[in-house]
Amino acid sequence: MLELKQIKKSYDGVTILNNMNLKIEEGEIVSILGPSGCGKTTLLNLILGITDADSGEIYFNGQNITDVPMEARGFNIVFQDYALFPNLNVYKNITYGLRNKPGISTSQEVEELIGLLGLREHLSKRIDQLSGGQKQRVALARTMVMKPKILLLDEPLSALDGVIKESIKEKIKEIAREFKLTTIIVTHDPEEALTLSDKVLIVNQGSIAQFGTPDEIISSPADSFVREFILNQLEIKRNHIFTLFRGEMESGLSSNKDADRIVKQAV
Amino acid sequence: MKNIKEKELKGIYALVIGLFLVFLLVPILLLLGKSFECEGGLGLSHYVDVLTGKGFLAAFGRSLWIASVSAVLTTFLAFILAYTIHYTNVPKGFKKFIRLAAVVPMLLPTITYGFAIIYSFGKQGLLTRLFGRQLFDIYGMNGLLIGYVIYTLPISFMLLSNTMSFIDKKFMIVSRIMGDKPLTTFFGTVIRPLAGTLAASFVQCFFLCFTDFGIPASVGGRYEVAAAVLYNEMLGSVPDFHRGAVVAMCMLIPSVLSIALLRYLEKYNIRYSRISEIERKKGPARDFCFGLLSGTILTGVLCIFAVLFIVPVVQEWPYQMHLTFRHISSVFADSRLVEVYKNSILVAVLTAFLGTLTVYGAALASARSRLPEAWKAVIDAIALVTNTIPGMVIGIAFLFAFSGTPLQNTFLIIIICNVVHFFSTPYLMMKGALSKMNASWETTARLMGDTWFRTIACVVTPNAMSTLLEVFSYYFVNAMVTVSAVIFIAGARTMVITTKIKELQYYTKFNEIFVLSLLILATNLAAKALFGYLASCRERKNKEQK
Repeated sequence: MLELKQIKKSYDGVTILNNMNLKIEEGEIVSILGPSGCGKTTLLNLILGITDADSGEIYFNGQNITDVPMEARGFNIVFQDYALFPNLNVYKNITYGLRNKPGISTSQEVEELIGLLGLREHLSKRIDQLSGGQKQRVALARTMVMKPKILLLDEPLSALDGVIKESIKEKIKEIAREFKLTTIIVTHDPEEALTLSDKVLIVNQGSIAQFGTPDEIISSPADSFVREFILNQLEIKRNHIFTLFRGEMESGLSSNKDADRIVKQAV
Repeated sequence: MKNIKEKELKGIYALVIGLFLVFLLVPILLLLGKSFECEGGLGLSHYVDVLTGKGFLAAFGRSLWIASVSAVLTTFLAFILAYTIHYTNVPKGFKKFIRLAAVVPMLLPTITYGFAIIYSFGKQGLLTRLFGRQLFDIYGMNGLLIGYVIYTLPISFMLLSNTMSFIDKKFMIVSRIMGDKPLTTFFGTVIRPLAGTLAASFVQCFFLCFTDFGIPASVGGRYEVAAAVLYNEMLGSVPDFHRGAVVAMCMLIPSVLSIALLRYLEKYNIRYSRISEIERKKGPARDFCFGLLSGTILTGVLCIFAVLFIVPVVQEWPYQMHLTFRHISSVFADSRLVEVYKNSILVAVLTAFLGTLTVYGAALASARSRLPEAWKAVIDAIALVTNTIPGMVIGIAFLFAFSGTPLQNTFLIIIICNVVHFFSTPYLMMKGALSKMNASWETTARLMGDTWFRTIACVVTPNAMSTLLEVFSYYFVNAMVTVSAVIFIAGARTMVITTKIKELQYYTKFNEIFVLSLLILATNLAAKALFGYLASCRERKNKEQK
């Protein structure tokens, strides 16, 4: 379990995070959602250990890790632009960490990861020969080889287009489930956050606007910010899609009615 | 789109090509011819003469050796400075100081460095007196080494600092989090991406040291290097133009090789998809060490130049040390010296104007036209060639080509020589800036009824203004400090400050030399401040518009 207590952070007199309190259970997928400049990247950096908090404490499984340096925390991150080493090929990128910690993953585990992420036919390619989605999967594999205690993902989908987005989403869920891995994702896209995670943390101007399951956020938005900026966006999208699929929807509605009837009968 | 004729660009292209044909290709070919010219035809007799004669090969070897040593030393020192700026948490103000102080030497002619070294480390030098004894013999290897390092430090620093700012710092986080040891992180995420630039810095410094004339002219002493041999062959007590031509051609070889190497090294540069800054790891010990090292390096450099400010304002260094402004006022009272200063300003301003026009025209033709690729390649080749040819070689080639023509002993020839000599760097700056601009501007403007000149004047030029100012400033400063080429083509009437300094050295009038050097420094600082102010004005205006 990861716990943040009274975390405060400011840069050059500007408050970025204000009294942040947060509990994330083991194995949960949590999205940090908010507009740019709301402090979500700073929060990520604090958890990872790149940045020190001005005040407050961070606990992991009951242990105070506030002053534990980044390397010793055992968390790991996939950056938005993947930060793959351009001078190494795919396989060498994936197994990079094994040079430093031999045996942290067995060769069988590495093989499984490669299979799971569908990278087998790309292993000898150079990084610049890969598409965005492939790079993302290589970066995920490289990070997973290190068996992180928490996996942090910085805007993992924002550089990808439509279909690939969905497939990477599935891979992230699969990995989190498979390894019971606490996964924290930073994103600015409400749809992404609400469809990908168990819980969503909505941040606005350095404070938590709401922390809850996607259902809770949809059914009972905590304040006007959540309603206007998060839900409103989703509703616009929904309306667009409804307009596009009007024809199919009408026939779909009738089948929905059928479903309703069946449910009622069962009750 | 193919139908657009681009008459204007073709005209500009022809003008640029014509300029370099007459003022680069022809003179160099004449020089080549001169080196083969013997009694009764062509032959290798001058080459045999020079290469078998004692002195030249030895001087050539010394040049190679000392240029290599200086290049290694400079690159190492520049790395420390750049690393302090980009990878440590020393205070912001100190970083600004490093940025400014590291490039100060560029604002002075190299010939001044030598005299500054003599007055710092010589028998009666400032530092010698502070330490109570002479630290080392300055004439020869030591003096040259110090001079070369000071001369090339700004260039090496700018190269390394520039590349460091384009290194994605996030890779350091990835490396650390993957369990790399600090040294592995350092080599993998700092040295490895810099490798190409480190090598480029070495080559560039080597090239500059090898071809510089000002430093050996002042502190070379009996340690004769190739540049000094060349000067003596051409303008020494027994001038021999044929032998001079041979030496000039020989000096071309290492220059061509080093530039070829630079081109080859370019492919070792790593390109990052984006650049991100990270919060640097805390390391007070690291900050202290690098801060101290950088401070020491720059203090050393500035100390050597301190004499420039002290010697001219004392009665008679080092015997009568009371303050006087007699030397300064006598320089300003000497109408010939004031004349020389005016000449320098005239040459620098006109060089900057003509140079900026040439560079802008050439860059427009190569970056914003649909001219055939082969045509554009010619301009790039010209830039490469001008980068390769040492100033002294251009100067001598001009001497051969234009003696006896109406151009001889005119300001115009000095100005054109400078424009050609310093073409490469500003051209690449300009081309880079123009090719980054939206490619559809001209087409859009044309569809709205603009003529090409109108588009250039109303759209392209305003957006290129900051680069144009940089180009102008680059030409101005370099025209103020250059000595290597103009020494051969400046006449009695067209004397500029740097050539005057060389003449004053002959009469050992060091007070005048220092006052004139200070004048150059002050002028360049004023010019830099002015261009900086203009650039910031533009930026502010742009912001307001947004």
